[in-house]
Amino acid sequence: MKLAKRFMALSLSALMALSFAGCGDKTSDTSATTKANSTTKAADSNSGTDSGKGYEDCEISISWWGGDARHEATIAAIEAFQKKYPGITVKYNYGAWSDWETAMATQFSSGTAPDVNQINWNWIESYSSDGSTFLDLNTVADTFDLTQYPEDKLDLCKVGDSLQAVPVSMTGRIFYWNKTTFDKAGIGVPTTNAELLAAGQTFKDVLGDDYYPLSLGEYDRMICMVYYLESKYGKNWVENGALNYTKEEIMDGLSYIDSLEDNHVMPTLAIQIGDGADSLDKNSKWINGNYAGILEWDSSATKYRSALAEGQEMVVGNYFTDWGSNQGGFTKVSLGFAITATTKHPHESAMLMNYLLNEDEGTTLLNSQRGIPLSAAALANCTSQNLLDEMVAEANSKVLAWCDYQLDAKFEDSSLKGSDGVYYDVFGNLSYDNYTVEQAADALIEGVGATLSK
Amino acid sequence: MDSAASTHKSKFFKRNVGLFFILIWLIGFIIFKVYPFATSLYYSFTDMHLFNGIHKFGLFQYEKVFTTSKIMKSLKITFKYAFITVPLKLIAALFIAYILNFKIKGVNFFRTAYYVPSILGGSVAVAVLWKAVFKNDGIINTILGFFGVEGPNWLADPGKALWVICLLRIWQFGSSMVIFLAALKGVPADLYEAASLDGAGKWRQFFSVTIPLITPVIFYNLVTQLCQAFQEFNGPYIITNGGPLQSTSLVAYFVYKYAFEQYEMGLASAISWILFLILLVLTIIAFVSQRYWVYYSDDEN
Repeated sequence: MKLAKRFMALSLSALMALSFAGCGDKTSDTSATTKANSTTKAADSNSGTDSGKGYEDCEISISWWGGDARHEATIAAIEAFQKKYPGITVKYNYGAWSDWETAMATQFSSGTAPDVNQINWNWIESYSSDGSTFLDLNTVADTFDLTQYPEDKLDLCKVGDSLQAVPVSMTGRIFYWNKTTFDKAGIGVPTTNAELLAAGQTFKDVLGDDYYPLSLGEYDRMICMVYYLESKYGKNWVENGALNYTKEEIMDGLSYIDSLEDNHVMPTLAIQIGDGADSLDKNSKWINGNYAGILEWDSSATKYRSALAEGQEMVVGNYFTDWGSNQGGFTKVSLGFAITATTKHPHESAMLMNYLLNEDEGTTLLNSQRGIPLSAAALANCTSQNLLDEMVAEANSKVLAWCDYQLDAKFEDSSLKGSDGVYYDVFGNLSYDNYTVEQAADALIEGVGATLSK
Repeated sequence: MDSAASTHKSKFFKRNVGLFFILIWLIGFIIFKVYPFATSLYYSFTDMHLFNGIHKFGLFQYEKVFTTSKIMKSLKITFKYAFITVPLKLIAALFIAYILNFKIKGVNFFRTAYYVPSILGGSVAVAVLWKAVFKNDGIINTILGFFGVEGPNWLADPGKALWVICLLRIWQFGSSMVIFLAALKGVPADLYEAASLDGAGKWRQFFSVTIPLITPVIFYNLVTQLCQAFQEFNGPYIITNGGPLQSTSLVAYFVYKYAFEQYEMGLASAISWILFLILLVLTIIAFVSQRYWVYYSDDEN
């Protein structure tokens, strides 16, 4: 009897442990998810083609991530689309970038993703390496005007011959400076590496220990190092699926990053973590101008500008000519739009995409919310109406004119870029002085090699 | 013969009619617990990738768990976390419950006040707040600065960040406290009377009367808290993002990272199963050990 009781208790608690095992799931769904139905009747797809209209009455869905301004503009454009094409109902779903990727990954994998999706460039490699997740856009070329896009940019979104997505804009990293803080320190914004290194000391002497001319997180440091190396050595980071730099060259790059901390150019990672902010644009030290520089994507810099406290001015910087004799830096497709391969309405989905990316009505509403448009029609329309954000346009033209190198698709692989990934390990331990420059180089070479060989 | 069988049948039905009452729960349990549980066991023997599917079978994921230093390190941290938080939390809960068991003015207010963190504790908002409390110019360091002490960099020091996470858990002792409180109320007053007649003070009464009588509840709290501590996710995910330098990367956090950021479902399943086995072993140890320290009043011994 006693034994039976004990056994019962044991099995009950095993059951309990088992049921807890299911609770380890993510509980922090912070992304605002909204669905909206328009007032148009939700006709099903079988209601037949109305040959006069050139499209079927149906319901399609779209998803994107972004900030508030992008949400508002996109919703306005979708509503205008529904007005123009009565009978097509568009359901939409949007949120912030944080955790958006994990949510979309499960949808793509389970076949429940919306018809049209804003995608990150590396999703093509991650989710559709065999080209089966997204629809080949060549099949809807009669509806979606591909001729508006430069051929070489479309090639970046191809798997074999299958065009997986259409690139909306190109982007690269470039320096932005808080001019107000530099003015306070009595110097101009740095245009060369030498000026930047000198600014570190000036900031310390004139403004105090809390002021730094630049702030870079782990991943920013990796990008900065690659820009530096490309300028100096004149070759792609990865070539033909293999790391293209020797250990000595990488050690040179890592030493450079280390020297930025030593010269009071940027705060150590420990200081930045201690600030307790989720991201730099939410860090009071950026908001108030203590950290006076960033190396950011030109397509997302407006977020940092709008975070600044009143009276601070952010300006676009220049690339450093004294890093080396080459124009180091890479550009990438900032984001694209793709149609899910399982969609029941490829034609109507392509209509929506064309409206948002190529047609005047749509592009007027969306203007530079997703960067400076690659579509020739959209760019012409936005330029003629003077709709583009001046700073975004300036930065983008500098990026495209300067950056000479290619970004390999695995550079942003989550095993490298993720918060438990290789870049975090290397630059974290380097900043905490747990790794020597040589150990950091070894760890980086090993980690990148492992990802490239996957 | 036939009638005997049918009586047998109806007896069976009568005896098990309760099954129908739990049928809805049972269906949910099978679909949402048993099925994923079984699937994850299967996946743990494969190279299941969210987008590439399954290509090989074997024990290699388990091998990988034990040969990847990152994962082994996180297992160690998880043990540390559990063995710090569980005893401290139980002590805190029991101590406060004991005090709140006295007839003090406004005791209901205090009971509620101490229980509140448990309701809030699991939530994202509190974790975000926790980060703000411990940041460099947060309230803790401000108070320390008031006394002339320069506060440490809590979030960025690998040695201290784990304590920040631990404190969040210990702070949420309310639910164990309520269970302790109920147990304390069940201790017969005549035992205390007898003890005080024998000259035992409050402390002596606590250790010689209260503790032995509530050991079954201590045992229950120990097992549940152990199970929960090993699966802690919110703290490292929201407050420290597993950092700095992976010093707060608990196992559950890694499972999430591997499963949903790197899509390595096979590996994530294998880690989960190892976590489950660890919990199972610890629970068995607890159950075996209880004959030495847990007192059941209906026990033959």
